[in-house]
Amino acid sequence: MISHNELLSRPQAQTSLRAGEPRSRWRGLGARRARTGLVLVSPAFALVGVFVLFPLGFAVYISLTNWPLIGPYHFVGGRNYSELIHDPVFVHSVLFTLLYTAIVTVPIFGVGYAMAVLVRANLRGSVFFRTAFFLPFIVGLATESFMLLLELQPDSGAADYVLSRLGLAHANTAWTVHYGLALAAICVFVIWFASGLTMMLLMAGMQGIPVSLYESADVDGATWWQKERRITLPLLRRNIALSLIISVIGSFLAFNQFYILTEGGPGTSTQPVVMWIYEEAFVQYHLGYATAGAIALVIVVGIISATQFFLLRDEKPIRR
Amino acid sequence: MTAAPAVGVPARRRRAGFYLYLAGGTLASIVFLLPLAWAVLRSFMPSNLVTAAPSGADFSHLTTRNYSGLISTNDILHNALNSLLVAAGTAALTAVVATMAGYGFARFRFPGSGIVFALVLATLMVPFQALLTPLFLEMHTLGLTNNLVGLALFYTTFNLPFGVFVMRNTFLQIPWELSEAAAVDGASTIRTLVSVLRPLVIPGIATTVLYAFLFSWTEFVGALTFITSSSLYTLPLALLNMEYGSVGQVDFGYLEAGAVIAMVPCVLLYVGLQRFYIRGLTSGVVKG
Repeated sequence: MISHNELLSRPQAQTSLRAGEPRSRWRGLGARRARTGLVLVSPAFALVGVFVLFPLGFAVYISLTNWPLIGPYHFVGGRNYSELIHDPVFVHSVLFTLLYTAIVTVPIFGVGYAMAVLVRANLRGSVFFRTAFFLPFIVGLATESFMLLLELQPDSGAADYVLSRLGLAHANTAWTVHYGLALAAICVFVIWFASGLTMMLLMAGMQGIPVSLYESADVDGATWWQKERRITLPLLRRNIALSLIISVIGSFLAFNQFYILTEGGPGTSTQPVVMWIYEEAFVQYHLGYATAGAIALVIVVGIISATQFFLLRDEKPIRR
Repeated sequence: MTAAPAVGVPARRRRAGFYLYLAGGTLASIVFLLPLAWAVLRSFMPSNLVTAAPSGADFSHLTTRNYSGLISTNDILHNALNSLLVAAGTAALTAVVATMAGYGFARFRFPGSGIVFALVLATLMVPFQALLTPLFLEMHTLGLTNNLVGLALFYTTFNLPFGVFVMRNTFLQIPWELSEAAAVDGASTIRTLVSVLRPLVIPGIATTVLYAFLFSWTEFVGALTFITSSSLYTLPLALLNMEYGSVGQVDFGYLEAGAVIAMVPCVLLYVGLQRFYIRGLTSGVVKG
C-alpha cells in the first residue's frame, strides 16, 4: 500500500516521455522496436494476468456459486450476496472493521504529523529520529504481534506490570481475551506501528515546500501556528489525502494483529473483514459465500483507491 | 522547528527551540525503540519469565538458552531459510521483471502500451487479501500451493506495480542521447541496457529489491493461505505454530527469540539501505 504515492507523478511523467522521444529517428525501426517493447513488458503482464486479472474475474464467478473446497458446485445467482446482508457475523465484522478504522485513523495521522514537524528540518539528530520512528513499520505487524502477545499476558506481561505500577490496571489483566481490552491494546499497538509511515509521507511533502514562503512569512512577523495553518497545511493537501487513504485502506485490510493476538475472539467479536473471509473460506469451506464477502471488500477498497486518483490527479505535484 | 530556519527569530529562542526538539525527539525515540529493544532483552531471559512478573532480577540471569533451545527443538533455522529463499527469490524476480517492464514502458512505443501499463498499475487498487479464494483454487490447480516458488511468484506480482513504476521513472530520467549513442555504435537493445544504462539504473533496482525483500520476509496472510506443509513454513508461520500448534503451555521465551530472529534482518537492511527506501517512498510525492 505504500506504493500508492508513486502514482502521483504519472501524468507528469508521460508528458516528459513524449517530449523527450525523438520519434522520427526511430520510424524505420518502429516495428522492430514495438516488438522489443512488447517482449520487455510481457513477463510483468503475464504475472498480473495470472495472479490479479484472472483471479478477479474468477472471484466474481465463484461468488455466484455454492463452491465447496472439494466436490461439485452449482450456481446460486445472487443468493450469497443477499445472505451476507443478513449474516450477523459478517455484519459484525464489517462494523468492527469500521469501528477499528475510526479509532486509529485520527491518532495515526496526529502522531505522524507531529513527528513529521519534529524531524522535517535537517537538524542534528533528525536522521536518527526518523529512523527510530519508522523502525516499527519496517519490522512489520506480524513479527511485532508475536512480541506483544507475551507482553499482554496476565501477570508476566509488561503491559500489566507498567499499568499496575501506575495503578491503572490489575496485575492479572488478561488483555487478549476481553473484547474492549483487546481492541484498546491493538489500537495503541497499531498507532505505534503505523504513525512512522504517515510521518514519512508528510515529511516528504513538507520538505518540498519552498523555504522562501516561510522566510517572507517571518518578515511579516507570522507566528509558528500561522505559518503552519496558512502555508504548510494548504500546500500539504495532497500528501495529507494520500497518507489518510493509505492508512484507511490499511485498517480496512487488518488481519495479522487480530489473528495473532485474539484469533478474532472472544467468539468472533474482534474479527475484522479479512479474517471473516479467511475463516469462512479456509475453515468453514464456504468458498462461494466467502468470495461474495471478498468482492464487497474489493469494491469498497477500489472506490477508496479511485477517490485517491480523483483527488490527486489534476493538481500539480509540489515542486522543490 | 519549521522547514526553514527562522530568519527573524532571536538566537536565544531558536536555541530553546532546538533543545525542545532534542527533548521531544529523544522521548519519542524511546517510545518507538524501547518496545523493540525490550523484546531483544526479553529473548535473553530464562524462559520461566512466562509465569513471573518482570523484575530487575531477570536482567542478571541473561542466557542464550532460548536461542539454543529453539534451534535444537524447532526447525527455526529451516524456517528462516525458507523466509530467506522466498524473500530473496521475490526480490530478484521483481528486479528482473520490473526492470524489463520499466525499460519497455519508458523507451518503447507499441500498440496497447498505455492499456498494459494501466493494468499493471491497477493492481495497486486490488487488495490481494480479498483474492485469497480464487488465488488458492488457481494456484492449487497449477501446483503452486505448498510451493515456495509459487509463494514468490505471488509476492512478485503484488510488488510489481511499485517496482515497474520506480523503474520506468528511473529510465525516463536517463538522457535519450545515451542509448542513442550506443545504438549508433551498433549495440543491441539488451547490450545497451546491460553495459550502458546499468550504472544509472542501479539505485532504482536497489529501491525495488529492498521493498520486495522487506514485504515478503514476514508476509503473513498469503503464506498462511498458500503454505500448509510445515517443512515449508516461513518465519511467521513457524511462530504461529509455536503459539497455537503446541500442546500445552506456549514457550514464550522461544517465541520471543523467534520473533527477534525475524526482526533483525529487517532492521539491518533498513538501517543500511534506508536512502534507497526513502527514495522510493518520496519520489512520487515531491518529484515533479
